[in-house]
Amino acid sequence: MTDFLRPATVEDALALMAAGGVVPLAGGTDLYPATQRRALPGLVLDVTGLPGLCGITTGPAGLRIGAATTWTALARATLPPALAALQQAAVEVGGIQIQNAGTIGGNLCNASPAADGVPPLLVLDTEVELVGHRGIRRLPLSQFLTGPRQTARQADELLTALHIPASALSGQSHFRKLGARAYLVISIAMVAVRLDLQAGRISHAALAVGACSATACRLPQVESALTGAPAAEAPALIRDADVAAALSPLDDLRATAAYRSGAAAELLRRSVATLCQPVPA
Amino acid sequence: MSRVQNTLIESVRKVVGWVPERWLPGGTPDPLIGRHGAVGTQLAQLDGPQKVRGAARFAAEVPLEGLCYAALVNSPVTRGRITRLDTAAAEAAPGVLLVLTYRNMPRLGLVPLMGVTNLGAVGNSALPILQDDQIRYNGQVMALVLAETQQQADHAARLIDLSVDTAPALSDFQAAKPEARTPASILVERNEQSAGDAEAALRQAAFSTDATYTTPGHNHAAIELHGVTAHWTGNRLVLHDATQAVAPTAAALAKLFGLRREDVRVLSPFVGGGFGAKGFWDHQVLAVAAARMVDRPVRLMLSREAVFRMVGGRSPTEQRVAIGADAEGRFTALIHTGYSVMPPYSASPEQYTLGTRSLYRAQSYRFGQKHLDLDIVPNTFMRAPGESVGSFAVESAVDELAHAMDIDPVELRLRNEPETHPLTGTPFSQRALATAWRQGADRFGWDARSTMPRARRDGEWLLGMGCAAGNFPYVRMPSGALRIRLTRDGQATLSTSAQDMGMGTATVQTQHAADRLGLPLDAITFEMGDSDLPAAPVAGGSSQTVSIAAAIAAAASKLTVELLRLAGNASPLAGLRAGEVRLAEGGLVCIEDPTRRETYGDILTRAGRDEISVTETGAPPLEIFKYAMLSHSANFCEVRVSDVTGELRVTRLLGVFDVGTILNPRMAVSQLRGGMIMGLGMALSEEVLFDERSGRIMNPGLADYHIPAHLDVPEIDVTWTGIPDPRSPLGARGIGEIGITGVAAAIANAVFNATGKRLRDLPLTLDRLIGAEGA
Ligand SMILES: Cc1cc2nc3c(=O)[nH]c(=O)nc-3n(C[C@H](O)[C@H](O)[C@H](O)COP(=O)(O)OP(=O)(O)OC[C@H]3O[C@@H](n4cnc5c(N)ncnc54)[C@H](O)[C@@H]3O)c2cc1C
Repeated sequence: MTDFLRPATVEDALALMAAGGVVPLAGGTDLYPATQRRALPGLVLDVTGLPGLCGITTGPAGLRIGAATTWTALARATLPPALAALQQAAVEVGGIQIQNAGTIGGNLCNASPAADGVPPLLVLDTEVELVGHRGIRRLPLSQFLTGPRQTARQADELLTALHIPASALSGQSHFRKLGARAYLVISIAMVAVRLDLQAGRISHAALAVGACSATACRLPQVESALTGAPAAEAPALIRDADVAAALSPLDDLRATAAYRSGAAAELLRRSVATLCQPVPA
Repeated sequence: MSRVQNTLIESVRKVVGWVPERWLPGGTPDPLIGRHGAVGTQLAQLDGPQKVRGAARFAAEVPLEGLCYAALVNSPVTRGRITRLDTAAAEAAPGVLLVLTYRNMPRLGLVPLMGVTNLGAVGNSALPILQDDQIRYNGQVMALVLAETQQQADHAARLIDLSVDTAPALSDFQAAKPEARTPASILVERNEQSAGDAEAALRQAAFSTDATYTTPGHNHAAIELHGVTAHWTGNRLVLHDATQAVAPTAAALAKLFGLRREDVRVLSPFVGGGFGAKGFWDHQVLAVAAARMVDRPVRLMLSREAVFRMVGGRSPTEQRVAIGADAEGRFTALIHTGYSVMPPYSASPEQYTLGTRSLYRAQSYRFGQKHLDLDIVPNTFMRAPGESVGSFAVESAVDELAHAMDIDPVELRLRNEPETHPLTGTPFSQRALATAWRQGADRFGWDARSTMPRARRDGEWLLGMGCAAGNFPYVRMPSGALRIRLTRDGQATLSTSAQDMGMGTATVQTQHAADRLGLPLDAITFEMGDSDLPAAPVAGGSSQTVSIAAAIAAAASKLTVELLRLAGNASPLAGLRAGEVRLAEGGLVCIEDPTRRETYGDILTRAGRDEISVTETGAPPLEIFKYAMLSHSANFCEVRVSDVTGELRVTRLLGVFDVGTILNPRMAVSQLRGGMIMGLGMALSEEVLFDERSGRIMNPGLADYHIPAHLDVPEIDVTWTGIPDPRSPLGARGIGEIGITGVAAAIANAVFNATGKRLRDLPLTLDRLIGAEGA
């Protein structure tokens, strides 16, 4: 097929992208269903052969995740407890086949409000690395996602990696997702929570909610309410009204808006409770 | 669907009512009832090994020399006219052999719709197939592209340039209600029926319930996609099809293409699931026409999306059920009416009120259905069309009444068991629903249910139990033919064009034939799935098992007569008549004096014959007019509902079935459990998301149309009363569809028991559980 490109270097890839009209393809699990056809339209550029796009590496600055790293690879990697939420999300994205093919970069670039990868990365203060023929740039994930199915990526840029700063690798995290059935389902709401606990108190809290606003978001007001609180009292400090104020959910076929924000608050309470449980000796 | 039909059927009923029992089929119970032979054993599916090894060849797998491949273009709009259809780029694309549009499609007539007044017909759609520039529904085929490979065909299909002048379409259920039609009949029943003044009785009743229940559209999702391989040699056509109607398809194609019936052969040895979907749709006609035009064999397989768009599903329904009761809980009024979609070009009336008509005794009744005309892909039959969704409404209503009266819902149902058919007074051939209720309550541990909702909990999870009845009519099709060929070495081959969609028809009829002919299982070969064999009717309405059984019984009687004739005067059987012998132990045996006997081999040898062959048709199914013949089920369900999130998990299901003789327990369990799983899908997740503005189905695939996955399915217990029906062949009734009926209501009722929330709209999703008002 002539409309399928699989360059071996990022430079080649960028040169091809510069010509315009080229659609990047990773696992294809979003791109292909979205075409509603048997074949992908137009010129497709497979990013999975590019060096540095697959795999996770650690350095002094923090952790780097290649954009084309699959969910399965993420789930199987040995990672700090701060990434537990991301790994828990990885095993809840679709079924095994989807996890084997789908990538974290595809999940972000596709920018669905219900993308399960986003909240766990938001609580890790993740930055995305974009490479284009004009150079490399980095921006916070929260700025990369500009709306439903919209990102700050230029048409000729590739998402190459995600960077998690060393400062965000502390503590433990947890992910919860709620759908109309137990598994294999699009999230009605999902949350990620990362907490640092010191002497029975929360010293740092990061909370994010997905599928309840145009893009998933952090909840600064709830985070500050939790900071300094004794672990045992933390879940009760998450108030429905504060959560609702941070979100702008839709009424849609999967659930009503009111249901969504109530569910998000409940999921946050549960995740916080899980993380605050005294560890059995 | 006419008044004439009503009159006709009512007079048949009347006449048959006068005819003495013994003159009718089933008047004398089938002697095989209660005999312990091959029937009733756990024989595994005979084609199992073939399927497991991948040796079973399905319609879209047949290899042929010179095969070419088809792709379709479906309409993206609902109504309109094609203004531009530029096929030049597609025609010029590599490998393309033909682009078929309304411009070059051969002019063909309409396919007659299947229906009770035209039993030989097989059409699911009465719309023209690629005959003009009109678009009549969203998904209608606009063009077919034929190429050397599937990839080339798919590619070229994308190059077709289509412009449409869009016209206003009817796609809004509620908006169509003022224009609803009231058909005179629904299948063989008069549509509007009443006894007494039900509305007045309802108003005066000591206790009553009156509510509206809705069910969404459902789509077919059999594992095998619709596929055909069409092949012409001169004026002879062979179609490898995945169909529930082998012989009727051959007849329809012969008529449509102006061929002699014997010049058309339809082969369908294996079908990967039917459920009502594997009928006669546009794709067969398109493939046959294209193959003729290029004079090469053609393969056409629908995509999953195309199955959603081109093969209809179950209509949405809006149903009213009202029940009035006296202080003892005896029904004084029973009303079931409603709306569903059935454009005049579709065949399935979604008979949701029919089951209710025989379910309970009441002092007054009112039943009737209204049809809405929407511009949709013709809706069609889907496992228990009518009863599946109708039972949700009526059995939810009974539960509502039981709660209002503070009577146990099983007990309330038992108090309203009818002695005879509530509307006609016709006796039931066999009905042991009460037995099923008692058996089920005991087995399920119904005692543990709290009568008060929200009374049982496990942490945040509320626990509840619910129950619901299901029913499904016994149907036997007229005119199923079958041939028995018996050879001197004691081997019998039974042949009929019938169809096996995976349920085990050949296996069960092999068991039956062994008993009927008095031969061991390994002496029987059962052939089917080929229109060159004696013609069997469509496999639908759970009718095939008894239809074939009746044909085997008839052919075996004829065989007996022929064998006695051949036996002649030198035989120990000399002078005996057919009624005086039975077929047993490989030959004929005198009933009075079992020492007078002779084997088939000896009879044939003495007569100098290698074999004997008879073909016979089952007796007309007049028993269905003399008796009320139905299967029943008692469904029990246990659920857990999170009081916080509304998440719903079904933890246990039990179905107790009163369905006549169980011919093969292993396959029966699987058939009934499969039906219950489909009921679970209907309750929890299945829903066609239909955009009422555009008339387009928004979830045409399994990623968004959720059928139950393994993790959704709880432990399902299946059992039965095992009581034979004295009026049917083998004492059996069909079991293909009863499994789905009642399940959704049992689940909704269990949800009410757990939460105190009454959900009257399917599917039962978590936001509805948190949002809903307590009843
Ligand atoms: C059955 C099914 C179930 C699913 N379940 C879930 C679920 O539970 N949760 C969930 O979040 N998602 C789910 N998804 C969606 C999907 O699997 C995920 O979003 C997945 O992570 C997408 O990754 P991909 O590699 O397949 O992306 P692709 O489909 O290859 O690409 C997605 C988009 O990103 C672009 N893109 C990909 N890589 C790059 C790159 N390196 N640079 C620039 N652009 C790029 C593509 O051009 C495209 O626009 C499901 C999908 C299916 C089909």
